[in-house]
Amino acid sequence: MVIRVEGLHAGYGMTSVLRDVSIEAQAGEAIAVIGPNGAGKTTLMKAMVGMLRPTRGRVDFDGHSLNGLRAFQVARLGLVYVPAERELFPTMSVLENLELGAYRDVSASEEHMRYVLGLFPRLDERKHQLAGTLSGGEQQMLAIGRALMAGPKVLLLDEPSTGLAPKAVAELYRQLSKLKSAGLTIVVTEQQVPLALSLTDRAYVLEQGSIRLSGRSSDLLGDPSIKKAYLGVA
Amino acid sequence: MKKYADLVVVAVVLALVPVLAGGSPYYMRLATLALVYMAWTVAFNLIFGHTKQLFLCLGALAGSAAYMTVVFTKQLELSPWITVPIGVATAAGLGALFSYVSVLRGLGIIFLGIVTLAFSLIFHNLVLGLRQFTNGETGLVSRGLGFPLLEQPMSSYYIFLGVLLVALIVYYLLMASRMGMAVRALSDDELTAELSGINVTWYKVLAAAVASAILGLAGSLYAFYNGIVSPSVFSFVSVDIPVLIALLLGGMRTRLGPIIGAAAFAVIEELVRPFGQLNVLVYGVLLIVLFVAFREGLVPMLRKTLKLSLP
Amino acid sequence: MIAIFFDGIVQGLQLSLLAVGITLIYGLGGVLNLSHGQFAVVGGVAAALLLEAGLNPFVAALGGIAGAGILGIIVDRTLLLPAYRYRGEERLLLGLILTLGLSFLIDGYLNYKFPEFSLTFQLPVPMVEIGGIAMRTASLAASLIAIVIFAGLFAFLRLTLLGKTIRSIIENEVGAELCGIDPSRTRTVIVCLATMMAGVAGVTQGLFSSLGTEMGPEFTILGLLVAVVGGVRSINGTLAAGILLGVVNAFASRYVGAYVAYIILLSVAMATILVRPAGLLARFT
Repeated sequence: MVIRVEGLHAGYGMTSVLRDVSIEAQAGEAIAVIGPNGAGKTTLMKAMVGMLRPTRGRVDFDGHSLNGLRAFQVARLGLVYVPAERELFPTMSVLENLELGAYRDVSASEEHMRYVLGLFPRLDERKHQLAGTLSGGEQQMLAIGRALMAGPKVLLLDEPSTGLAPKAVAELYRQLSKLKSAGLTIVVTEQQVPLALSLTDRAYVLEQGSIRLSGRSSDLLGDPSIKKAYLGVA
Repeated sequence: MKKYADLVVVAVVLALVPVLAGGSPYYMRLATLALVYMAWTVAFNLIFGHTKQLFLCLGALAGSAAYMTVVFTKQLELSPWITVPIGVATAAGLGALFSYVSVLRGLGIIFLGIVTLAFSLIFHNLVLGLRQFTNGETGLVSRGLGFPLLEQPMSSYYIFLGVLLVALIVYYLLMASRMGMAVRALSDDELTAELSGINVTWYKVLAAAVASAILGLAGSLYAFYNGIVSPSVFSFVSVDIPVLIALLLGGMRTRLGPIIGAAAFAVIEELVRPFGQLNVLVYGVLLIVLFVAFREGLVPMLRKTLKLSLP
Repeated sequence: MIAIFFDGIVQGLQLSLLAVGITLIYGLGGVLNLSHGQFAVVGGVAAALLLEAGLNPFVAALGGIAGAGILGIIVDRTLLLPAYRYRGEERLLLGLILTLGLSFLIDGYLNYKFPEFSLTFQLPVPMVEIGGIAMRTASLAASLIAIVIFAGLFAFLRLTLLGKTIRSIIENEVGAELCGIDPSRTRTVIVCLATMMAGVAGVTQGLFSSLGTEMGPEFTILGLLVAVVGGVRSINGTLAAGILLGVVNAFASRYVGAYVAYIILLSVAMATILVRPAGLLARFT
């Protein structure tokens, strides 16, 4: 297992959000964490990457325990997180944003840059533009591109489709599936359940802070309760 | 009346201080100065402690009142019964103006701090520049212009005790009123306070105006008592810093904190006096230590250790 | 006329040099350094001590600048730690009070320890003539130093990875951390750089006339005014504001006197805060 979360509890102040959450992913696997708004998907991601201190439980990544590490240390180990807010540098150029993404491994910067610009030709066209002037879809590409610049071992994506037009979402998922076939380990949270399930191998259903269900994505796509709750089909 | 028992205790204890001083003019002057600083600290507690407005112009506010009072008394030969209210009104008006502008423009705590600090410096340079009225660095002699009672140590002490008690009563009444409730909500969370229908702007401006009036009243009377008004008497280092330290030392948002803090500060200052120049260094160390390690202040600490219900 | 104008630009460059450090520390750490001018004085005092110890003036000046930077690192790693534990307004307030305390500590100590202190650098040629205008060599030298430092700073921030790292943290600390950048280490680098630039301003003051231990508060206030007028978060703005205020001050002191000139500067700063607080507060409220 390249990443394993075991019995994780986390919350903000006195309110607990996650209760006893365990998930794991093998190298090369893509997994999805799906669930309704407020189920704790973002909290889970933040607790995994050190942006939020878990109250209990452990996170192991690639032979390291992540407990107590800060966000930049987790990123340096190769667990790279793309939050729903994207957290770009708006008044720096696309190229500069990407260069900073390579901070973890500057020596491979050029190679990664070629790969990212090849994967997202739109970014190549706009590489001298300021990040803040990009469209929503392009900003999401830039956020993912910046994460890829680090040469991540595992990519964590929090709701990548948030705020994007349907066309942009479709384009984004095409590129994500390319990344997956290239062998990248991906953990994605999503409210657009069918998209996430068709991208991934396995999925977890997070509801009210606990894992309610898990299994192969293709099985979950056919699961009647999932269909009812998330796919809008009776 | 039980609610105000502490006020009575403060009044009685402070009224007995001259007996302890045994008529020594030196200690009487120290005690009187301590009363002035207590009144100023009560005012600052209202502005900074309760309504989170960082006024870095306490000396300038007290000083504007003092200069207005003395200059009007001197130049126009008006009675101090008229000029002291003019001074107080000046300070209150300026304080209200800063507060109103800061709320209006949505200034954060830091930028209000810079604006008021800039005002401190403007005040200082005005006093130095308007030499024909203020006599510049040397200052104006105010002896013999004001109230005869402020020329004698004993009566002066009780006048300033009166000023302090007035300040405390005003503070108590404000905190017991609707404003007190609003202000408590405000120090928890301004947004929530605003949402629950409390007019934050109005109470902040009111608190600033009342507190500035207290600063001005103590400042004007102090100008007569001191016999001279000069820029150094009302400088940032001689008013703002001691008051800030006294408030932190005593405990913000407590009733007795300003009294105990200013008294403790007077004692500390007396202890470092022999070291001359080093007092500035001691101020620096006190600010740092108090803010890092002792942010609660004496009153909350005494409450905990002695299990007292200090207000 | 032109002489006053040039004089203003020379003064302005010095002001910018002081202010840019305040801007950088504020942008990166969210701390408004109220002891910044005192770092300039510390740099000057260190240089004077080295000069007294028999070092050549150039080395002594560099040593003084390094001294200011070392004190900066120490302060960042000790005094400011409690402030960094908080975020937003709480950090600002704590930083403000801590650096105010530090300024008193440094002032009190230096005035006590070196009451008669002054630092003066004598240049071999006091005046030069350029294009028909006689100018003090000291002004030229100081301006040249300031211009080189600013050019270097801009190149550093635009072109080097460390410079980009610094800009990324100023822009978005969370984003920078997600890239694997350690904010606290970068902060220490910037505090060191900023205090070294204050040290330069302190040492070059010794070129103009002399530097005394009592000048700290004035340096801090002037730097603060320039930083505020420049927008507190923008380095270009700080440079422009420094030159603007330098020129305004030069003309005002010439025609209306020093007190009024100072009042004008202060009023400009107040007005700037009041007219565009959103620009100044962009990140924190």
